[in-house]
Amino acid sequence: MSVSGGAAGAAEMMSPIALFMQADIVVKAVMIGLVLASIWTWAIIIGHALRIKRAARENERFEREFWKADDIDGFYDTRGQEDLPAAKVFSAGLTEWRRSTAGKAVDKEGTRSRLAMSMHSAVTEQVDRLAERLNILATIGSVAPFVGLFGTVWGIMRSFSDIAGANNTSLAVVAPGIAEALFATALGLFAAIPAVIAYNRMSYGINRMEARLIRFADGFHGTLSRELEFEG
Amino acid sequence: MDRGEATGFGVALAGHAALLAVLSIGFATVRQPPIMADPMEVSIVDEVALTSAVPQPAVEPPAPTIAPELGPPEEPAPAPVIEPAPAPPLPAPPAPPQPKAIATPQPKPAPMPKPVPVKAAPPKPASPKPAPAKPAPAKPMAKAATAPPKAAPAKPQPAKAATGSGKAEKPRGSMLGKDFLKGLGSDPAPAKAQQPTGAVMSPIAMSGIVAAIKRQVQPCADRQVNPGPGASRIQVKINLKLNRDGSLAGRPAVVSTSGVTDENSRYEKRVADLAIAAFTGCSPLRGLPDELYQTAKGGWSNFNMNYKLPD
Repeated sequence: MSVSGGAAGAAEMMSPIALFMQADIVVKAVMIGLVLASIWTWAIIIGHALRIKRAARENERFEREFWKADDIDGFYDTRGQEDLPAAKVFSAGLTEWRRSTAGKAVDKEGTRSRLAMSMHSAVTEQVDRLAERLNILATIGSVAPFVGLFGTVWGIMRSFSDIAGANNTSLAVVAPGIAEALFATALGLFAAIPAVIAYNRMSYGINRMEARLIRFADGFHGTLSRELEFEG
Repeated sequence: MDRGEATGFGVALAGHAALLAVLSIGFATVRQPPIMADPMEVSIVDEVALTSAVPQPAVEPPAPTIAPELGPPEEPAPAPVIEPAPAPPLPAPPAPPQPKAIATPQPKPAPMPKPVPVKAAPPKPASPKPAPAKPAPAKPMAKAATAPPKAAPAKPQPAKAATGSGKAEKPRGSMLGKDFLKGLGSDPAPAKAQQPTGAVMSPIAMSGIVAAIKRQVQPCADRQVNPGPGASRIQVKINLKLNRDGSLAGRPAVVSTSGVTDENSRYEKRVADLAIAAFTGCSPLRGLPDELYQTAKGGWSNFNMNYKLPD
């Protein structure tokens, strides 16, 4: 065997697929789980990034048009059914307004508090919907390193028992087992790092959107509240 | 799972596949072969060779002591090889100088001359047996003294004195009769005495030889396959004796092995065989300086080679 052949063999041995193929079954399971977690993480990151960005843009446009609109009922008929957080909040408030003012006697205080409550619940519902996958990112971000570490510990345990069995401590015998074991930790970090970063960024983005929705809800509540006084 | 998530999932999947491919290719190609340590070293056997490059003075005892014993008489072989000019002028020169020769070596010559001629003489008669016995030159002479009659040619006497005293007296010896020397002709001793004046094994010359040997053996050494883990820690020292043409004069001998542990002890024999195979595979050696084949301080006729498997 030539020198280059040996090096090529070592390189082949270090490729991710080879590391996976020669790993213990437990370590294999860990690796598969971590790769799936990584794929899932990135799917969530990409999907959410697109959704939040679009939601933020549409919300802004919706609010701008809402404040320009003269006829709230007309605006509701044309835009109220859109699948937007701001539109949902708006429709929740308007629906409650219609219900509360439908009867003969209007309880102004009760109507105000009901409006506030319904819009507030609409805001939290929308925020929950936006954030529904973030807990997965949080979980992956905090657990993946441990899972990877478990795979590594298991793999190194196996390596050592192999060493004991082979009665041989040369690096050539020890190294592959350690390498494949460490590969599990690498995968864990590979999945966890983006997950943690994305979780923090998206939490911040969703908090901002929540604040914005609450401001919109407050503004709309103020408008309806004024309306209520004129009617009374 | 809405449209955005489906997109995200597709992109993530493709990204991971691409990353995997890149890593696989990258790991397979980027690696460079590790630089290999030089596993072999060669050393000339004579340890003194490294310390002294000064020509060795002729410490050897002069030839005459041996000559008488060997003296297979009849050989008219041109012993004079060693002796410079004097040989040819057999008749003329010997006669006149003779007296002188005797005169000068006053202290020694007196006792010596007599026995010497005796010795030289007997061979001629073709009755070498009596004298040639082991005993040192002087004694046999004494015994043989009975034969002096033959020794008639008084010339030989001084000759003996001359050879006995070493080179310094050559000139004088030359004055003696050439025929006298014939008896000593076949003696190799004088040649030996001259060796030191030849090529000398200096550190520079030696490192050159060592490098040349290494260069020629290395390719074979590099081809050896490691028989098992730990075997590359075994170092084998083999002794090699070469012929002048660079071929092996005999089976290489293992001088010592080191670095053997419990773990790799089973490979010891194998590594020793590999060490020998590495050498035999690339012999005969070429291009080694002929004059350094054998010197007083060692030469490449006999050297040790330390061998280790490549890691």
